[in-house]
Order: sequence, then structure tokens, then C-alpha cells
Amino acid sequence: MAGVRGLPERINPLKAPAGARLALMGNEAIARGAVESGIYVVTGYPGTPSSEVIMTLQRFGKDLDMYVEWAVNEKVAFELALGASIGGARSLVTMKAPGVNIASDPILSAAYCGVDGALVMLAADDPGPITTQTEQDDRWFSKLAKLPTITPSNPQEAKDYVKVAVMLSEKLQLPVILRTTTRVNHTVGDVVLGATEPPRKFKGFKRDPPRFVRAGMRWNLERHKWLNKQLEKVEGILNELGISINEVHGDGDVCVVTEGVTYNYVTEALNLLGVKEGVRVLKVGQLYPPPREFLKKGLRGCRKAVVVEELDPYLEEAVKTLLYDEGINIDIHGKHDSLLPMEGELNVLMVAKALTRVIGVPLPKTLQVSRETPALPPRPPPLCPGCPHRASYIAILKGMSKAGFRRDEVPIFGDIGCYALSVEPPLNAIWTEHSMGASISMAAGMKLGGNDKPVIATIGDSTFFHSGIPALLEAVHKRINMLVIILDNTVVAMTGHQSTPSWSVTETGRKAKPVLLEDVVKALGVDNLAIIDPFDVDDMANVVAQYLRKPGVNVIIARAPCALMKVRAEGVKAVYRVDPEACIGCMACIRGTGCPAMYVDESGKAAIIEEDCTGCGLCAYFCPRDAIKEVRHE
Amino acid sequence: MSRGIKEVFNILIASVGGQGGLTLSRTIAIAAVSEGFSVRTGETLGMSQRFGSVTSFVRMGPQNAVMSPTFSEGMAHVMVGLELTESVRNLRYLSEGGKILAADTVKPPITASVGTARMPSKDELVGALTSVDPEAVIVPARKIAYDVGNPRAVNMVMLGVFNRIFGILSDDAVINAILTLLPGRRGETSVAAYKAGIKWAEENKVVQG
Repeated sequence: MAGVRGLPERINPLKAPAGARLALMGNEAIARGAVESGIYVVTGYPGTPSSEVIMTLQRFGKDLDMYVEWAVNEKVAFELALGASIGGARSLVTMKAPGVNIASDPILSAAYCGVDGALVMLAADDPGPITTQTEQDDRWFSKLAKLPTITPSNPQEAKDYVKVAVMLSEKLQLPVILRTTTRVNHTVGDVVLGATEPPRKFKGFKRDPPRFVRAGMRWNLERHKWLNKQLEKVEGILNELGISINEVHGDGDVCVVTEGVTYNYVTEALNLLGVKEGVRVLKVGQLYPPPREFLKKGLRGCRKAVVVEELDPYLEEAVKTLLYDEGINIDIHGKHDSLLPMEGELNVLMVAKALTRVIGVPLPKTLQVSRETPALPPRPPPLCPGCPHRASYIAILKGMSKAGFRRDEVPIFGDIGCYALSVEPPLNAIWTEHSMGASISMAAGMKLGGNDKPVIATIGDSTFFHSGIPALLEAVHKRINMLVIILDNTVVAMTGHQSTPSWSVTETGRKAKPVLLEDVVKALGVDNLAIIDPFDVDDMANVVAQYLRKPGVNVIIARAPCALMKVRAEGVKAVYRVDPEACIGCMACIRGTGCPAMYVDESGKAAIIEEDCTGCGLCAYFCPRDAIKEVRHE
Repeated sequence: MSRGIKEVFNILIASVGGQGGLTLSRTIAIAAVSEGFSVRTGETLGMSQRFGSVTSFVRMGPQNAVMSPTFSEGMAHVMVGLELTESVRNLRYLSEGGKILAADTVKPPITASVGTARMPSKDELVGALTSVDPEAVIVPARKIAYDVGNPRAVNMVMLGVFNRIFGILSDDAVINAILTLLPGRRGETSVAAYKAGIKWAEENKVVQG
């Protein structure tokens, strides 16, 4: 799971002394940066690659006098941080790129009211994409939201730039975005620690409607003017503070403009190509507003320039605008001339190849390795052995056929979470996975569009709390006939087992009021509600069949804990074993479950990897010969 | 017995999610930093960690020499594979003359078990590795790990074989890193697995130079 489990037990990265040099993941370094910058309120919603910041603070910072808790969604998280910061406390809010979309409403207005205590927002983008639904480039979001944005290129800077963001935020009285990419968040590097600072809490809050009430249009116009003035100060303030996050390396009349992790690719690519002189590298740490003075000075005397960045031509367009304004006409290479792709992440070799074309040096032969490898079966991530979602989808598909429907006439709308892995064979279950909570609203929309066959929405418990509640409210209110199945494994599983609003104690030991799914669902006024253990496959299939034929909004809460979490808490009490004498090699078990603890052995019979089995018994459920038996551990 | 390195050294770790590939890369990173090296690792965390293909990049070198968290195809000095299919899948990362160390474990992916893709035999997989590195070291790592009482410590057996061959890190640094990451009994059996890996490498004379 997400990397925090892998952290040193004996060395606490939040408490280790200044000057210590530790191997820290970028997100762990950001967590340390929060402690070094006197941040008091830390909140966010789990999302790869951002989650380990809060997980690290929760695990190692229990007695640090900070508030570190997950919020129900990113919009709420941002507003919590904003509320803290307009009262003078320092806050940090973390989210993955799509989380920024969810929080965008309060973020845009926050640029108008500003803050008093620092507000740092971590926006973790994911070129690749490695674990994200979109490859959105949040540098545009900074421009849209008009919020100063800085970006680190490695774990050391990830830590250091938290402090830069805090200083900048308080000087400008604006939230500051720390924009990262996966290759910074999830990279482990050597990080030298700095001194910690006591957390800054509430100082006071003065009533000031022109600043904090967005109902006054004249006030909004004035605040917009104020905001634009503040943005003009960013580069000057960084210089005043003596902070150099924009750097020039080397000299020459070919310029490479780059930022974030790609700076590392540029430097290593130049080394690989043996280019020691003639090239000037401009590393931009200040993304928004682009550092015009730095770029103007840095590009002086350039014969041609190449902009190396991931995703969109954000810096490229900034450089082009600037040179146009300066009346300078030189060749600019990058995305617009297709030198580098606008999709996917870059790497050293891709950058080296691009640079050979601009600089005119050849690619060394040693880098032109190509290897034929035999065709291999792909290994997409499956649902874990013992995962309750597997049982749920098996019951859903079974219930559908019991109700007399073909698989291709009842769409199963999916949502964001592990259960999206049910899209793969052999389950081939979900038809869509779109955005948080969209399973319910999109299924409802399809009914509104005139589909007279049943529709099913499947959504995880945390995703339901996050964004499913308003969608279900809409479906109930508009009397839409649909089946909603809440897959309740009591945890945010996919991102590393974070708490949900149903917990009575949070990760930090804070007592919390458990909010029960069934109470929320009932309060929304659904027509029918059943709570079922999905491992009772036949029972659940019967309810699915019944609910598919009943009008109204019908909800099933399929409740069983995440298998990984259960095994960690309780250990494995029993496993299953195939009796090779009884097995007829029909593979009903493997084809039915797709369980990764199973395989076909050399004699063509089903077999179970005992150390991977968690004893759910679904394979035995499918066996027509009773050849799979439980073996209890003593 | 740290031999040290003068240039950046690239290790590719190929594994199936849940086998401990991430723990292995983190162990090497912690040990390398404690030895005064600069390190970078590039990981894929998040969705694919459980039973999916996992590729970890580990890079170490003198201070300030390592910058990129990943490296490109043809740049791994060594590949440490915890599973044969994944070892073959990642061959493109190996440099000319690069070394292959692979556990002899085979975990057929679900795509093979449900019959949507053909699974090569173990001999075919080993053959693919030895066609690239004729001296590829194939380690009965699960058996070694099982014999020291922790069948899950295939990663630590492979770490022992790796470090006995390359000798970049001192045993003390590695053992401290293991115990830092894995406290309690798991740490003890992991250290035992590491030592068993060293012993296997010595007994089977796979040590270079």
C-alpha cells in the first residue's frame, strides 16, 4: 500500500534534529516541511500521489500539537484550511489533481478574500498518468484561480518549498499552491532536515465584509484589482526574501527552460550527451505568475530555446509571450513543434533525444539498446484475494440474471475506488467510472434520458460520503427508479486505508462521532434499504433481483471489511486448498472469481497459493465437485 | 566491506505487488543514505501495488550526482527480479552487459489463469533471461526464505545475493536499514533471509571478481 508503512520506526522524520540527513519520500519531506514551517491545521482528502503527507503527519506527529485529519472531501478540506487561515492559523491542505476540481469553487473565491495565516495547498498532478483519471495540468488552474504557485524538483525542495510557500502566503496574504508531480511526491531521496517551528494558531478575526463577503459586486471588483496587484509582487518578494527558486545553470546561447522533475531529466540528459558547455539551463520554481524578470534576464543573448516540461505547453507559452513583448524573435522548441509529447511523463532518454535535435549532437550508441522480449500475459491490478467487492459484483451479476435480465441490457455504473478493478475479466462488471459520486447521478441521468431498463449504480462508502449524498438526494427527489449499491468496506482502501466518517476514532486517536451510512441513506428518503454481507452471495443476489423489479430508489449496503485491513488486524484464520483428486480442472473457480491467489498448475488443475489466500471461500462457492476445502489455522 | 561506487548505479527491481519490491527499494535507499550516498527511487504506488506488475527504480551515487528518480530503457546496471514473468517483462531496462539476478518464483497472472493470454513455461522465462545475460543468477529465493522461517522474505534473500555480488553497501548498513523498516520478528527473520542470500551466493560461487 501507500508508502508510509515503509518508513523507519526508529527514526521519526518529524522529530529528527535539524541537520540530520534521511532517506525520505517527497510526501514525507512535505510533512516534515509542515513541521518546520509552523503549520497547525493539516487536512485534505486521500488521493494518489498526495496521501502520504497526511499519513506521515498522523503516524509520526501524534504529540506535535497539530490538527491533522482527513476531511469528507476536498472542497470541505479547503474551506476548513481557509477558515483556519483567515483567523491567523497556518494551514496546509492536500489533494490529488481531480480533488482540485472538486475544491475549485472555494479556491477561486479565496483569491479574493485572501488569508492572514499562511494557507498552502498541495496540488499533486500525475503525468503518465500513473494512478489518475485525467492528465490534467494544474498549472493552468493556478492561472485560472490567480494563486501564486511554486514547484519543487526533488524531495529536498519539496520540504524546503513548504516554508517558501508559507512565507510567500503571509507576505502576499494569499493562499499559495505547491504544485507537484508523482515523480516528486513518490520519489525517495536524501533530505537534510531544517529546524522546526512551533505551530501558529488562531490570532483573531475582524469583521470586514468587503474582504470576506462575496455578495457585494463593487467589493468583488475592488478585491480583483487588489489580487492582480498582489500577483505583480510575487517575484519581487521572493527576491527580497533572498529565496532563489528560479536558477540558472551553465552558460551558452542555447537555452533550456524547465521546471519540476524535468529539470533532473534535462541535467542528466546533457551529461549523457556529453554536453558540457554552450547550453544554459533555466530552472523555474515559480510557476505562477511566471517569473518575467528572471526569464527576461535568463534568456538574454539566447540564439534558440527549448522548453522541457511535462503535459501542456504552459511554460512554453509564457516564454513565447514574454519574448514577443520584448520584441525578441528566436526559435522556441517544445510542444507546439511536436519536439516533445503533450501526453505522458518524460524521462531522461526522451529528453536526451529531444535535445540532440536542438543542440545537434548525436545520441550515444550505448543508449540505443533495443531488446525483444517474448509475449507475456499482462498483469493488470486485480481485486485482492478475499476482497468483498468481488463477492458483491458476483452477486450483482447473478441477481441480474435471476431477475431475467441479460448482462448487456443493465448497465452497472461504477465509481472511484478499488471496485473499479471489477472492469477486468473475468468479472467484466462496471460500464463506467467517471468522477466521485457520478455512478448515482449518471445512472439517474440515463433513466431521465429514456432508458426503460433498470440501471445499477455501485459506489464505495467513502466515495458516497464524499460526493454520493447529493446525487442520491437528487435521485430520490425526482423519483427515479434505480438500484444503488453501496460497497461498504468501512475504509478508504485504494489510497492506503484512511478513515471515513463512520469511524469512532480517527488515525490520530481523536474521538469522532460515527456517522452511519444507513442513517444517512434512510434520512434521504430512499424507498427500500437492505444491509447485506456480500459473502452471502445467494442472499445478496436475491435482493438484487427483487430490487431490480421494484420501482423507486432501492439501496443495498453491501457490508464487509476490506480484506487487507482485516488480515492486518486479525491475521488469516483459515485458507482454502484444492484437492487434486477431486478437481476436474473445469476452472469454474478461477473463471468465476479471478482471484489472484489461484492459478492453473502443471497438471491442468486449479491450485491456490496458500500465503496469498485469505480464506474468503468464494472459489469453493463456484466448485461443482466440492474439491476446494477450508483448512483452519490452529 | 563497503566497496563504494564512483558513478551513478542503477538498479531495476521487478516484482508482483505484495512481494515486497517497495520494501526492498526503500531498504536499499536507507542503507545507501546511511553510507553517505545520494539516492533516488522511482516507485509506482497507489493502484497497482497488489498483485499488479510493479517496477521500482533505485539509483545511488556520490552526493549530488543522482537527480532523476527513474532511468530509461537500457540503463539498469542490474535487475533484481522477485518473480520470473516480471523479470522478463522488464528486460528492456537492462544495459548492455547488465547483470540479472532473479528469484525462480513464477506467479501466473490472472489473465493467464482465465485463459485470455498464454503463459510461457518456467524454462522459457529462464531462457529469455539467459539469452540476455548468459550468467544470469537464478535464485531459489522462496525456498531459502521458507527455510529461515519467513517465506515472504524473498526480497531480502535477493538483497543478500545482490549485495554479496556487488558489495556496494556494508552489511551493517543493510541490516540496520532492514531493522529500521521492519521492527520485531519480521525484522529478525528478514535479516536471517538477507544472510541466507549471502550464504547462497557464496556457496554457489556466483560472486564476481
